[in-house]
Amino acid sequence: MLEYSLIAGILFGVFFGFMALGLNLIFGVMQVVNLAHGDFVVLGGYLAVVAYSSAHVNPLMSLILALVLFVVVAYVLYFPLIPRLTKSKDPEMLSLILFFGLSQIIEALDVIGFGNNPRSLPLAIMGSVPLHFLGQNYQMAWVITALVSLIMIGVTYGFLYYTRIGYAARAVMGNRDEAMASGLPVAQTSAIIFAVGIGLAAMAGVMSPFMIGSIDPSTGLGLTTIAFAIVVIGSLGNPLGSVLGGLVYGISVMLMQTYFSSWSNLVPYLLLLIIVLVKPSGLLGRGVRNA
Amino acid sequence: MLSPKLVSRRSHMGTNVAIPVVLLAAFSVAPMVYANQAVIFQMMAFMVLAQGVNLLYGFTGYLPFGYVGFFGIGAYGMAIGIELFHLPGLVALVVGALFSVIVALILSPLLRLSGAYFAISSLAASEVLYNVVANPALVHLTNGPYGESLVQSYHPETSYIAMVVLLIVTTIIVIVIKNTAFGRALMAIREDPVSAEMAGIAVVRTRTIIWIVSAVIAGLTGAIFGWHLSVFYPSTVFDLSISILAIVFTLFGGGGTAIGPILGSVVLYGLYNAIGISDPQYFELIYGLLIVLLVLFLPGGVVSLLQRRGNYVP
Amino acid sequence: MSREPLLLVDKIVKTFGGFKALDGVSLQVAPGEILGLVGPNGSGKTTLINVISGLYHPDGGLVQYQGRTITNWPMHRRARHGINRTFQIPKPFKTLTVAENVELAHHFARPGAMTPREVLEFTGLADAADRLAQSLNSSQQKLLDLARALTTGPELVLVDELAAGLGPHELHQMADSLRHLADRAMALIVVEHHLGFVNQLTDRVIVMNAGKEIFEGSLALAAQDPIVSAVYLGNDAVDVSSVQ
Repeated sequence: MLEYSLIAGILFGVFFGFMALGLNLIFGVMQVVNLAHGDFVVLGGYLAVVAYSSAHVNPLMSLILALVLFVVVAYVLYFPLIPRLTKSKDPEMLSLILFFGLSQIIEALDVIGFGNNPRSLPLAIMGSVPLHFLGQNYQMAWVITALVSLIMIGVTYGFLYYTRIGYAARAVMGNRDEAMASGLPVAQTSAIIFAVGIGLAAMAGVMSPFMIGSIDPSTGLGLTTIAFAIVVIGSLGNPLGSVLGGLVYGISVMLMQTYFSSWSNLVPYLLLLIIVLVKPSGLLGRGVRNA
Repeated sequence: MLSPKLVSRRSHMGTNVAIPVVLLAAFSVAPMVYANQAVIFQMMAFMVLAQGVNLLYGFTGYLPFGYVGFFGIGAYGMAIGIELFHLPGLVALVVGALFSVIVALILSPLLRLSGAYFAISSLAASEVLYNVVANPALVHLTNGPYGESLVQSYHPETSYIAMVVLLIVTTIIVIVIKNTAFGRALMAIREDPVSAEMAGIAVVRTRTIIWIVSAVIAGLTGAIFGWHLSVFYPSTVFDLSISILAIVFTLFGGGGTAIGPILGSVVLYGLYNAIGISDPQYFELIYGLLIVLLVLFLPGGVVSLLQRRGNYVP
Repeated sequence: MSREPLLLVDKIVKTFGGFKALDGVSLQVAPGEILGLVGPNGSGKTTLINVISGLYHPDGGLVQYQGRTITNWPMHRRARHGINRTFQIPKPFKTLTVAENVELAHHFARPGAMTPREVLEFTGLADAADRLAQSLNSSQQKLLDLARALTTGPELVLVDELAAGLGPHELHQMADSLRHLADRAMALIVVEHHLGFVNQLTDRVIVMNAGKEIFEGSLALAAQDPIVSAVYLGNDAVDVSSVQ
């Protein structure tokens, strides 16, 4: 049982780390908490479900579709929303409210477009033979999702550390004013990171029906909270931090489901509260008032 | 030494007194004019909640996504008072309020967090409360997921009157806070907690007081609400959309004023009744768009249109 | 210094992570005295001000004020007992007017404190009384910090980098004003980059470097001190010799 919880926890943890990655990037570069993050994940999920049920498109193909589509959508959304916000009196609070509004819009559109019923993908798409490891069986869909997540985290890491835009993004995360003063294209970088962050959320969304069972329009807010908890546990702007946060979350959930299953719903919320309260400076060192 | 501003504040006494008087008159007459008492009752409940959000967000800058936690715990505190201690309804309301105070004290370390950290952590806290109350392990105390049934204490008229009283008292509290040094201390804390301390304001104590006041307001609303319904489930009284609507109503009307949340509740709850009950997704779409447009073009809410012209807004 | 010190700071240590921002700093200030606190960037001046005003609680050492140990008092308690300050990056209540900023601070004022009107005239902000604080420029916002501090009726004001951005004439006026405060028995600790400005104020300075006090005395003597010169060497923003 313990081995099963740990290994399943790692598989889920890697996925949830990937799921939180986009939130982490946007928060790090723009100081904007994208409260609609989970809703973009859900939209990715709907894309995969609809593509599969209407045209038998394999979710692995939908991944590319989701990335392209949502990078474009987010890039277009960026310009009317973010620059206006960053110039306002209280960007952090106003962006929180704005993205909360966006989240409500997406939820409403989900209901209008896809109805209130939960939608899912059959696990068997990814192979019906489970993976046998250390005496336990694991769904092949979980293993493949975890692999996809790992690859995408690796790609994001490479993007941040080996491209010019990635370099600029890390500089902005370090110190926005200095990055601007030293002539880095801060606005352009922000727009690209915003698009990439939402594209990654949608990609995680494509795989999400395998991991969370089913999606419905109200799934988004819970996913945003989980992603936020993971970002806080890990470290801001560092993709490896997201993996760490994801693993802590995934393993905790699996252990709770195995040993105290009726309380396992509490895990993301309790984890978040424990982190922000027990370590008052936050693992990120931000987010705390001075007085 | 009074600045001109302080002097003019005095002369607005009449406007300020008018607000609770008009509310009292309106909600005393409303049940006789409009048959659907449930709608009027819920509108009052949302007005009170919006004022509670106003005290936290409008005056102090904390956005409480999890505000419904106090509401739900108030309802359950009331139910426990009736079911376990066999108290009469009005006394059980006090138990509900007490429960919300206890929860507020336990959660008061959340006030150390700023911005998004506070908003999302308060949401997490309300989810924890919900999952605890609804947990089958607590079936003897809360009846777990199966909900509460208090039909033996069903008093629709008394609970209606209790809500009117709560609305009036809450409105007066907001007006008093807005027009006294305490309110300006809250605004100072919102603007800059460190400078507020250097101005001699005990920041931690001041914001803890307002946190508890707003928790009691939500707790009593939940208690009266639950009493009025007399049958409810954890998912009814811990429904996140209760927080969300109260926040949207406050933002729409304008925080930091007494009239903004009332205006927001009347207009948007009216809209909700017109289209929201049969097609909630269209209502959700409308207020989602409203929020986005407000943030981009009118962050102070509707009342800021008046304030912009230099008018006094109570 | 035979008088009873107003403020006594004893062997203060403050670390951030592993970094020792203050490493056993001690100093005394008498009532009505002006003390200059100088040193290169990152030497711990502002950290020390933060410890004295209560924004930071030190990891070691003692702060005594009027004979009472206040090391762990919260800021508002210090403010009500007569310790106040300005901020290097000014911190006004942005959406309140200048007058409201000062009135708020006057609410908890000690007996005999300057009234809001007096401090606004004193700082030259009277004409801006009805403007929103956020519409002031940075120097004016610093003056508003000072006005707010003064209207609480302090006996010790910690002034953090007030001179930055002021022209020569304004500097001269500011130095006059501050000396005038000291004449009213207000003690000042003045953190300043602009050594010429410090020189106009006082001949007692403490030079800090790397969280330690490296010199105490007049600026003229500091300029001749080999250790002080070594610390400032290569820092062309500050030329100690210019004050002689």
